[in-house]
Amino acid sequence: MSYFNIIYIFAFLPVVIILYNIIPKKLRPVLLLIASYLFFFYISGKLIIFLILSSLSIYFSALLMKKIDKVKEEKITDLESEEKRVVKEKYKRLKRTVLVVTILFNLSFLFFFKYLNFFGSIVNGILDILKINYSFKLIKLLAPIGISFYTLQAISYLVDVYNGKVEASDSLLKVLLYLSFFPIIMEGPITRFSSVCDSLLKGEKTTYNSICLGYQRILFGMFKKFVIADRLNIFVKLTFGNYRSYSSLVLALGAIFYTILLYMEFSGTMDVVIGSAEIFNIKLEENFKAPFFSKNISEFWSRWHISLGLWLKNYIFYPVSMSKFVKKITAWFRKLFGSRVATQVMGSMALFAVWSLNGLWHGAGWTFVVFGYYHLILILLGNIFEPTVIKVCKKLKINRDNKFYKFLRIIKTCCLVVIGELIFRAPSLSVAFGMLGKIFTKFSLKGFSSEVLSLGLDVCDFLVVILGVVVVFVVSLLNEKGKNVRERISQKNIFVRWAFYYALILGIILLGAYGPGYAPVDPIYADF
Amino acid sequence: MEKLIEILEELQPEVDYESCENLVDGRYLDSLTILALISEIENNFGVLVPAVEIIPSNFNSVKKIWELIERLKEEE
Repeated sequence: MSYFNIIYIFAFLPVVIILYNIIPKKLRPVLLLIASYLFFFYISGKLIIFLILSSLSIYFSALLMKKIDKVKEEKITDLESEEKRVVKEKYKRLKRTVLVVTILFNLSFLFFFKYLNFFGSIVNGILDILKINYSFKLIKLLAPIGISFYTLQAISYLVDVYNGKVEASDSLLKVLLYLSFFPIIMEGPITRFSSVCDSLLKGEKTTYNSICLGYQRILFGMFKKFVIADRLNIFVKLTFGNYRSYSSLVLALGAIFYTILLYMEFSGTMDVVIGSAEIFNIKLEENFKAPFFSKNISEFWSRWHISLGLWLKNYIFYPVSMSKFVKKITAWFRKLFGSRVATQVMGSMALFAVWSLNGLWHGAGWTFVVFGYYHLILILLGNIFEPTVIKVCKKLKINRDNKFYKFLRIIKTCCLVVIGELIFRAPSLSVAFGMLGKIFTKFSLKGFSSEVLSLGLDVCDFLVVILGVVVVFVVSLLNEKGKNVRERISQKNIFVRWAFYYALILGIILLGAYGPGYAPVDPIYADF
Repeated sequence: MEKLIEILEELQPEVDYESCENLVDGRYLDSLTILALISEIENNFGVLVPAVEIIPSNFNSVKKIWELIERLKEEE
């Protein structure tokens, strides 16, 4: 069951809403937990045991860390400062041990289900090169749904408790629900405990407003998925499936369509996710903020899959930058080359860790690793050359705030993003490089229009895609300019409001890509 | 506080540090500039800034950064 499944939107969700409103307030969080576990069990069956193990491990570890802090406070009350320091250090080490062991315990599940085969094949390759006659047997394992998302949430809770940013929760229900809440379990957003812990247990009754706003958001997500993403999928499948048969321009179009498809599918899922939570008065953070208006790759990643970017920033980038090892190396560079170079080195080392993990998080495969390092290189080049670009612009009297200059930067960023997504989508590195090679070296307009129309989409399909993209673009543009479209619609009178809703519903029904000839997109991020 | 403003102006000019209250949220300071700022703070004010303190609310204004420095001094 995906979030776009009719069973989820028109059966599962409404039943949960009805039950939620008829039971006492105290029992509502329990209902959400039962619904979440049923949702998980429906998809992953017995693998639910791993979700429960992760939840219990972080619950008890957090309480243990709290207990360690309490004992420490009791012990140091009457001590002198030097003794205090020794005792503090002792308990800090103990706390750190609990943190590290629990993180490793949770990461072991992730490694087992997601990376065992990948690293196994690397080891087999090395054994083969060394002519050692042994190879590990590789088995395809079915991972618990959303393991990459809930494991990151588990780690964030533990680290926040360790750092004293969040108090360890005494409520088991709260921790269980935090990790399994059905709208976010499959594809995020990766949520911090502090931002949802209170609202999860509040059990506020749903209202006409919360249901209307929630379903309005869900409908918009369905529009993005059914009208645009599902329509483009057939074209993308054919071009990526057999790239040698197609011309360079068609391949470029395939890569552009995949980028649009990915955005519509993932941001559409986030609309369903955030809308579902909104119905229960639980506010989730936005995961996208008009990413295609970004002027460089760094900005793009602060607008695309925001929750993953923030997680990596908070739990990898800054801790790595501030680590003793990196500081030592930075100090050495500072002495030799000055502050600016030293900061670049410090940031680059942390970014290397971030993008290695970002690539691998998306999947256990070389295309994902290269996808990560591709972005790392672009960001590093951007950091290194930005001061020079600013100087050149000043000399040439180019106003960097000029609209046309900004537009050129946005186009440049979009092109770089499309190349990245091509690598991301390609079934192998040889296909990715083969496609890129063909796109950049064999440009030809010959037979382009007839070739485009032979890939599963007719003129009407293209017109619908353009119309759909324009609708999404206008909404994004208005939001970007600070004009909240949803608020504006909700302020209109009932006739105008429902005219919008009906237009959206009719759009989904009449323009959705259903039936033979189309290939619905599987939930892309759920596989991560 | 004057020394702090001086450091900030050197790292990222063209920002009115006296009045700006969204240095991080408004994207005036990016991650790399924050790293450079922390290095300067550690060198000039003799405090160690742990990674856990690098959150937008601690760096959104000069006042907030100064409060962080004072707090870290006290804790040490």
